[in-house]
Amino acid sequence: MLEIKNLKATVADKTILNGINLHVKKGEVHAIMGPNGSGKSTLANVLCGREGYTATGGEVLFEGANLLEFSPEVRAARGIFLAFQYPVEIPGVTNSYFMKTALNAVRKARGEKEIDAIDFLKIIKAKAKEVEMPEGMLNRSVNEGFSGGEKKRNEVLQMAILEPKLCVMDETDSGLDIDALQIVAKGINAMRSPNRAFIVVTHYQRLLNFVQPDYVHVLSGGKIVKSGGKELALELEKKGYGWLTEAVQPV
Amino acid sequence: MLVLASHLSILPPGAPIRMEEKAGVLHLTVPQGEHVTLIEKFQRRDPEPYTTHSRIALKIEDNARVTHYKLVLEGQHADHQSSMEVEAGKSSSFTSNVFLMGGESIRNTIHVRLAGEYGECQLNGLYIGRGKQKIETHTLIDHQKPHGTSHEFYKGILDDEAQGVFDGLIIVAKEAQKTDSAQTNKNLLLSPKAKARSVPELKILANDVKCKHGSTIGQLDHVQLFYLRSRGVPEPEARRLLINAFASEMIELIELDELKAALLPCLNLTTSIRK
Repeated sequence: MLEIKNLKATVADKTILNGINLHVKKGEVHAIMGPNGSGKSTLANVLCGREGYTATGGEVLFEGANLLEFSPEVRAARGIFLAFQYPVEIPGVTNSYFMKTALNAVRKARGEKEIDAIDFLKIIKAKAKEVEMPEGMLNRSVNEGFSGGEKKRNEVLQMAILEPKLCVMDETDSGLDIDALQIVAKGINAMRSPNRAFIVVTHYQRLLNFVQPDYVHVLSGGKIVKSGGKELALELEKKGYGWLTEAVQPV
Repeated sequence: MLVLASHLSILPPGAPIRMEEKAGVLHLTVPQGEHVTLIEKFQRRDPEPYTTHSRIALKIEDNARVTHYKLVLEGQHADHQSSMEVEAGKSSSFTSNVFLMGGESIRNTIHVRLAGEYGECQLNGLYIGRGKQKIETHTLIDHQKPHGTSHEFYKGILDDEAQGVFDGLIIVAKEAQKTDSAQTNKNLLLSPKAKARSVPELKILANDVKCKHGSTIGQLDHVQLFYLRSRGVPEPEARRLLINAFASEMIELIELDELKAALLPCLNLTTSIRK
């Protein structure tokens, strides 16, 4: 589904990614771990086409197409979703209007019929229930005045509505207490399917207790320095990142 | 609805308002304790150049309340100037919602004198300029007596080569202790050639007051745009959504459906979709 080959990227003229290779197949969950500044979030943002994150080398193929050529909205229509580390507040646009606009934009781009207001209401109410979001929050401005946990739940709600093929979760666990973490993890697990892949970017092992990855990769200095199964995350939890990163970043 | 002049109407129809025209100025008096809505709608849409001049002097007696709407939807070569001088009595209230959209040159002037204790004043406005439109707002709120409150909030959206000016002065007289006043002006520039000038000014002579003011001039938020696009909303639609969200705060202030309906087509900011 996703093939990243020797990807290099810069942010504000600074090289952050130094040749990433990663192959993600349908149905798989890949965790990307690593210390602060290792390039985890940069990788997530490059995949979703954020302005200011410039790919300078290598390639990214999504279902065989060159992903780096596409605008963010085209990537979304093709089935890529980024759950933001810091979800954005949009005063004056209600949550449900935003999601209806997004869903219909994506459907239109795929040549599917738009969903009318009544059917959409049914969909959003059902999905909101899954992530335990009170219906009242659907009529509030997008993320405005939401707590950290509510914002992350709102990301999972958007993901559930758009039903992407590849979900990129950028530090979705940051700033969550254990209850909020469990709700978010439940939402993610409910979406796991043989046709959908996840890239879960996280600093801590915590989220991976609830969302079990198939593969764990450790990023350091803009490169994957170690890959393994879910046991690697446990090892990192015990030993920290030092034993892996010293080798590539001599002090 | 009672129609007083071609552009002016009053609600409720039987409102006991007094009026008199003197030297080109329409003098209106809202008697004690009355609640009145005053609607100024300038909707002449002639394509050729013309001029509109309107001057109103409004006296709000003690304990009376006035809600004022002004819609300026003139033709594209019109020169529009309208002013309102308000004198507000004790425990009276004046709320004004102004929408400035059509006309080559628009000058909106509102002066409010809070001449009695516990006077309340709210001045809200939205101006949307395109092409080479020039839209100016000049306001003065003069707190003369104690315990007055005033809130002023004007927003501007400027595209193409349009120019917007907000010039707002708030005076708090020495006698006007316990005044509570806030003034905000926010501008959204949609094109590199659009211009906004914001001149907020406070003149405070009393020493026990709460006053604040602030103004911003900015562009569409790139992070918000990316957020919308990352969910599949194409860029032109994402821009339109954010522009309408900026304007909606002011539109929501309108309590008369009929006015909202007159305004909504003018808000169709579909031209504002360039990168």
